[in-house]
Amino acid sequence: MTSSAALRDAQRDLENKANDLSKLQKDIAKNHQVRKKYTIQLGENELVLKELDLLREGANVYKLIGPVLVKQDLAEANANVRKRIEYISAELKRLDATLQDLEEKQNSKKETILKLQQRIQSLQAGKGKA
Amino acid sequence: MDGAGKGTVTPLASLFPVEEAQNAAKRVQDAIAEKDKELDRLRGFIADNNNLINLVQKLPEELHHDIMVPFGKAAFFPGRLIHTNEFLVLLGEGYYADRTSKQTIEILRRRGKSLESQVNSLEAIIKDHRAEASFFSATASEAAEGLVEIREDYVEENSVKQEFESGPLKQDVSGFAGAEKEITSADDEEFTRMMSRLDELEEQELAAERGNHGDENEGTMSDFDVASYQGPIDDNLPNSEDIQRTVDLKQTNDVTTKFPEEHKYQDDIADYFGSLALQSQVGESSEGKTMPKNLKNSDASEKSTIYPERKTVQAGNSSKAEVQYQASRPSFDSQKASTSSIGGHADHTQGTSRIENSTASQVGRQTSEPSFDSRKAFTGSIIEHAENLQKTSREQNSTSSLVSGSQPSKPVSRFKMQRK
Repeated sequence: MTSSAALRDAQRDLENKANDLSKLQKDIAKNHQVRKKYTIQLGENELVLKELDLLREGANVYKLIGPVLVKQDLAEANANVRKRIEYISAELKRLDATLQDLEEKQNSKKETILKLQQRIQSLQAGKGKA
Repeated sequence: MDGAGKGTVTPLASLFPVEEAQNAAKRVQDAIAEKDKELDRLRGFIADNNNLINLVQKLPEELHHDIMVPFGKAAFFPGRLIHTNEFLVLLGEGYYADRTSKQTIEILRRRGKSLESQVNSLEAIIKDHRAEASFFSATASEAAEGLVEIREDYVEENSVKQEFESGPLKQDVSGFAGAEKEITSADDEEFTRMMSRLDELEEQELAAERGNHGDENEGTMSDFDVASYQGPIDDNLPNSEDIQRTVDLKQTNDVTTKFPEEHKYQDDIADYFGSLALQSQVGESSEGKTMPKNLKNSDASEKSTIYPERKTVQAGNSSKAEVQYQASRPSFDSQKASTSSIGGHADHTQGTSRIENSTASQVGRQTSEPSFDSRKAFTGSIIEHAENLQKTSREQNSTSSLVSGSQPSKPVSRFKMQRK
């Protein structure tokens, strides 16, 4: 009886761990998505920066803010784009770190689940014998 | 071809379950479909880009264009397009710039290039996926058909290799033995034995360094080398010079062949080393002397020195063998010359310098005994009869040395190393 109780406990434990694991995996997937978005934006910004550099001094630059097209200074636009690039890279790095973290947690969770499963199996085998 | 004994037969189906293979194939194909869609999108972009470039090129051709201007969702009204050379180009991220048509075209072209590079990378990815998919489908079909994978243990080829090596070696040895008989006497045999022992010892040391892995191989290899040398021995018999050299090399090699497995004479080897180094050096120094007589011998010695590393031991062995062999025969003039070098056998450089000095001093002495005698002594038999050789012609030297056998030689006083 105690063995069956232990077995049930172990199984419940296993379920919990499995839920945690799935949550972790979802987090990882989200992380991946956000990372992708940021990567694309980074690429676009770099392209803009290149074009801005090719512009002659005094050329008109406009920024689309909502429905309004606002005239901007070339120097200002350059600075803004550069700052945006920096910001995006920093974000990417942060996301990378969290991704690493999540992956490690996921691996450890997998290991614990595996061990739990083994325990359950051994318990069941023991119960079966007895 | 006997290795078929142990083998495992595994049906491919067990290694790659049919279902799994098929699922994998499907997954890969889905990925391919996705990438294909992306590819189409990109291709569409490129087409649009090109159209735009054409339009931008055409617009400035007129000062103004009469067009139907769209008005809301469902209306147009006639209008004019003016400022035909000014374009407000979207750079990205909400940034626009005023540009002329030519500049706009440049921007568009650059965009087109980046698009094309994206397309290329995507195509490469698709190709990889396709390869993967084909592999999966192939394995799936094979597994379904019931193909079987057979594995057999790999019968080591070492035995074969050894046989092969020993085969030619034996041949060489026999040939060499014949040559030896012509040249060698009982003394020579002993000498060669010594040399071979030394070689084996050397090999042992080398093997110890490498973890005793290639002992046999080394032995066989050395044997091989010896065998390769055997040919010239016979040919060179008549030529003292050649003989010197070939004998040196070959005898040393022969020795190794004879005693491929004895590694007991490390001490001997050391001694040989010294003597060998000395002798070789002597040869060199003799050359420096530019003595005509010496020249020939020096050449031989040079050659022996050519293989300083390899043959030093062997030569050392040979010399040592000679020494041992000549227990009663202390170094000869040549040896004397080498004795000085022997002292410095540890350092070749020192030895050489010394040898030079010694040889120089001995040159006068040795007018009849060129340093090369030591060379000949190298091969053992030569050393012994160095004196004799000097008197006789060179040719005879080698032969006489070979044949005459032991002869009382001058005291070994100078030849410190030689005594056993």
